[in-house]
Amino acid sequence: MLESIEIENTIDTDQIKAGSKPLAYKLNDIQPKLCIQHISKTFLSKNGGVSALEDINLEVKEGEFVCIVGPSGCGKTTLLNIVAGLEKADSGEIWISGRKINGAGSDRVVIFQEAALFPWLNVIKNVEFGLKQKGINGSQRRNTAMEYLKLVHLTKFQHAHVHELSGGMKQRVAIARALAINPEMLLMDEPFSALDAQTRWILHFELQSIWLKTKKTILFVTHNIREAVCLADRIVILSTSPGRIKKEFSVDLPRPRDDNDVNVAEYSTRIMKELKAEINKVLKCEMDADSCVECDIKCTTEEAAKTDAGGGI
Amino acid sequence: MYSVIKRVIFFIFLIGIWELLFRVGIWPEYVLPSTVSVGKTLVNGFHDHTFLIGIAISMKRIAIGYGISIVVGIFLGLLIGRIKIFEETLGSLISGLQTLPTICWLPLALLWFGLNDRAIIFLVIMGAVLSITIATDTGVKSVPVLYLRAAKTMGASGWKLYLGVIIPAALPHIVTGMKQGWSFAWRSLMAGELLIVCLGLGHLLMIGRELNDMSQVIAVMIVIVIIGILVDRLFFIKVEKRIRERWGLVKA
Repeated sequence: MLESIEIENTIDTDQIKAGSKPLAYKLNDIQPKLCIQHISKTFLSKNGGVSALEDINLEVKEGEFVCIVGPSGCGKTTLLNIVAGLEKADSGEIWISGRKINGAGSDRVVIFQEAALFPWLNVIKNVEFGLKQKGINGSQRRNTAMEYLKLVHLTKFQHAHVHELSGGMKQRVAIARALAINPEMLLMDEPFSALDAQTRWILHFELQSIWLKTKKTILFVTHNIREAVCLADRIVILSTSPGRIKKEFSVDLPRPRDDNDVNVAEYSTRIMKELKAEINKVLKCEMDADSCVECDIKCTTEEAAKTDAGGGI
Repeated sequence: MYSVIKRVIFFIFLIGIWELLFRVGIWPEYVLPSTVSVGKTLVNGFHDHTFLIGIAISMKRIAIGYGISIVVGIFLGLLIGRIKIFEETLGSLISGLQTLPTICWLPLALLWFGLNDRAIIFLVIMGAVLSITIATDTGVKSVPVLYLRAAKTMGASGWKLYLGVIIPAALPHIVTGMKQGWSFAWRSLMAGELLIVCLGLGHLLMIGRELNDMSQVIAVMIVIVIIGILVDRLFFIKVEKRIRERWGLVKA
């Protein structure tokens, strides 16, 4: 089975030449949906240290599902926020469909780790929120919202209040709310990491089916390699301090994929193995200096399962 | 249910002691009236509409004053909570004025407006507005960043962001401020009505004093307390509880 999996190191810095404008891609006929150019940013990481993203270059094609994977503190969320326009980069540019972005906009909706649903609105009104901002009238708004609520199988709960929903249901409403305004792309920031394994497993299926139906371009941030393999067309690995694109993998497994599928597990293990050095680097940062823990990953599915349970890298 | 019974027994006991003290006759009736005469005054007061008119007039004043306080308070709170320059300037003024007892505004109100309704309404506003402003400011500052980010990525901005996200997200704090503001407003109203003679419940109290009618004084006091309790318990505490549940601040 491994032979059919194509792991390649496709990162090629010459691909994106310094100063070249995405318009140039029109010549190649395929304009990328998202073009991240030379993004650098220094920021304070959660544990108080100073981290940095260094010269990030990435292109995402129309309809592509790309996962950004990296250890905590590597700046993957910061990168997503920069794409969303919620944070400013120190240097570099973000282009969406050939337009340079400047600030947040409804063409790139973010789905956060916590659903960020508004508790003063019920489910259907939450889904309608973005449409209301666009000034779409009442009945049309309701119809569109119902359509997307149907997509996430939650029409039964349209009048429920947010506090009555489970974590998984909240995230499904958040997905419906984001899709309802028909954005050019979805930006997902570890949306399933706060959920239990069972719910996450279901939502992996659901997200895949939504993606197959809507063909939305998705940029998905996670620290969980297994999740990335389960969802993505392409996986971009970020290294830590400094945050750089270390490697890219394309995943060519049939869909829908299952977290527990042998191929997914095997694939995760192979990526994990490639990332051994990176994992050790993080471990060394997080543990006491006198400990000499070495993360030794064997290329077996059981090992992968164990490591995965620990939250990936 | 058990606590209600305890409460009822306590009040019956209290009224019993009061009646007993009256019967012993240590104090004359203009110092300590009988429970029966206070009860009669209450019934008569409602029967001949004196109390109803008093309540209506007081309620109208507080409705106007408190209504203005809510609008102005929320507006000022938003300014202070969201805009740095207002926080540094207006914010310090507001927290300074908060230390001033409302009744200290009376001389100023009399000179500005004279002995009339407007002076009383001004007192009510000064009583309530600062609490609502400060609570709104706190509420706005504690709006989860996540809500703002989610709203922004869905295209909300400007006044839509304020009306659709910031104010509702701050509502639990705003309602708490409104509750506190209400009790300040109610006190200021009574103080104003006691000192400025122009009907209302406070004025009925003063009439009782002028006529040496202790029954009326106590009866009106009871009415004032009951209205205060009704608004606080039946309205604010319920609203506050429901909002806190819906907003996920307490487990339902």
